[in-house]
Amino acid sequence: MSNRWNFIYATLLHLLLLTGALLTLLPFLWMVLGSFKTTTEIFRLPLVFLPQEWYFQNYIDLFVTRPFAGWYRNSGVIAFVQTLAVLFFSSLAGFGFGKYEFRGRGFLFTVLIASMIIPFGVILIPLYVLVNKLGMLDTYAALIMPFMAPAFGIFMMKQFMSSIPSELLDAARIDGSSEFGIYWRIVVPLLRPALGALAVFTFLGAWNSFLWPLIILRDIGRYTLPVGLATLQALGGGGAKTEYGMILAGATLVSLPVITLFLLMQRQFIAGLTLGSVKG
Amino acid sequence: MNVTVAASAPKRSNLHQRGSWWERHQRTLSPYLFIAPFYILFFVFFLGPVLFAILLSFQSWNGIDPMHFVGLDNFTELATDPVLRKTLVNTAVYSGASLFVISPLSFLLAVALNAGMVRGKGLLRTIYFTPIVTSSVAIAIVFLVLYNQRSGLFNQVLSALGSEPINWLGSRDWSKVAVLGLMTWRWMGFNAIYFLAGLQTIPVSLYEAAVVDGANQWQSFRHITIPMLRPVILFVAVIVLIGSAQIFEEPYMLTSGGPVDSSLSISNYLYRVGMQYLRLGYASSVGFLLFVIIFFFSWLQMRLFGVFQED
Repeated sequence: MSNRWNFIYATLLHLLLLTGALLTLLPFLWMVLGSFKTTTEIFRLPLVFLPQEWYFQNYIDLFVTRPFAGWYRNSGVIAFVQTLAVLFFSSLAGFGFGKYEFRGRGFLFTVLIASMIIPFGVILIPLYVLVNKLGMLDTYAALIMPFMAPAFGIFMMKQFMSSIPSELLDAARIDGSSEFGIYWRIVVPLLRPALGALAVFTFLGAWNSFLWPLIILRDIGRYTLPVGLATLQALGGGGAKTEYGMILAGATLVSLPVITLFLLMQRQFIAGLTLGSVKG
Repeated sequence: MNVTVAASAPKRSNLHQRGSWWERHQRTLSPYLFIAPFYILFFVFFLGPVLFAILLSFQSWNGIDPMHFVGLDNFTELATDPVLRKTLVNTAVYSGASLFVISPLSFLLAVALNAGMVRGKGLLRTIYFTPIVTSSVAIAIVFLVLYNQRSGLFNQVLSALGSEPINWLGSRDWSKVAVLGLMTWRWMGFNAIYFLAGLQTIPVSLYEAAVVDGANQWQSFRHITIPMLRPVILFVAVIVLIGSAQIFEEPYMLTSGGPVDSSLSISNYLYRVGMQYLRLGYASSVGFLLFVIIFFFSWLQMRLFGVFQED
């Protein structure tokens, strides 16, 4: 009896998991297939799964009639620079907290942790006012600088710091290395896996970021991809004039690099996420 | 000429001394320099704005004219604002469903993905985790197409099953459901990552011992899996609450908070009041309300799960 029940149980489990996986893939499929249909075909009844004729004009329109190439470059530059800055400042501060005893360490670390519980909504308005007063509206600096040394990244790096033996650092000191030299030549190379995880997160976060760029960016040429896509959608008002074919092509191109990145760096992504939750 | 020579000689030796001084003190001072960037940015872009937000919440200001002090007016308005009340209810629905529907689904998904008999785990896991890395704006646009009343896929499937089409985005009854559909799709796999990582830390020997003692699968689940996962469950509950209470993009893209504010979240309202109505003072007080809500419920969760008692 037990064997038979196990078989039924296993079959059901696989069926459920498979159905769920198909439902998860469905929007991606609809997005990619829709990007090769005309807007009329997307909404024509009865619905067709595959485009009757593969329509590449959506992609061409994005680059020819819309500043999509510029948005792509903006998003790429911002995400890249922000990731580099976050990696540097987080690992440096994580090293400071993880490998030194100094006065005020406990208090300063508490401040850092406490800053994580304040939701972004609290500072959204005053931060906008500040950026405006500094004349930084429409600048990439305003997008990057406030998020350059995230408390979360520092916390994560400090956690990884315990895996680096302190004797190694002392040996370098005896050899006459400066403290920054120790960071640069010993800590950074040993932190590589952790830095990989933080890099994936930061890049994804910056690439997909929406609310803050929506507030800061005014000139359409300086938009990032999510703000640009939302604008394309809003311009059509969601009605008959919305060029869904082209917008889905845009959505496909926005998703492509991050999905690729995720597929390549899945292990680091998951390792970074689960740090602190499991035996944290 | 003489003066220059006289002045430069001591300066040089001074410089030399400073070098050795730095060498002697760099070990004590370096950590402060290493953590300094965070605190500089923290003061300018975080603490400063928080303090300014406190100030602003007692003012009436459109960002251009001089601000004027209005005492507690913004806070009394919080108590009486009918739109705000709606957003509180809507956000409570989003958070409640995230905690009590989406998270349990994530848990079941993790348990299923962890089961020994399942084939193709790696591939399934990758598929389930992918939604979270894609831009919510991009994917919301796909859902706009899927939710389309006349010819969206969802309604076409419903009508094929003989059911009436649903006005997902345009009716007050369904707008929140539509937002939650997108939220479930995006977050289910993400939460499962945490549960799965937790499940994998449970030693197999515990289950083996339970089998020896004659426990069935349900008893193992109830008396080993659940207690061992308690810290992870708490962690997920807290991050899910914090994330869902701040939800912005999904309603913004799908329904713009409508119809008649039936899907408007607190963050959507904060954006509207601050950036569209230019009521910066009132928007700041809405921000504080959001903070108080998140803080209170996170604290409550930690109390309920008893983490304070264990320490």
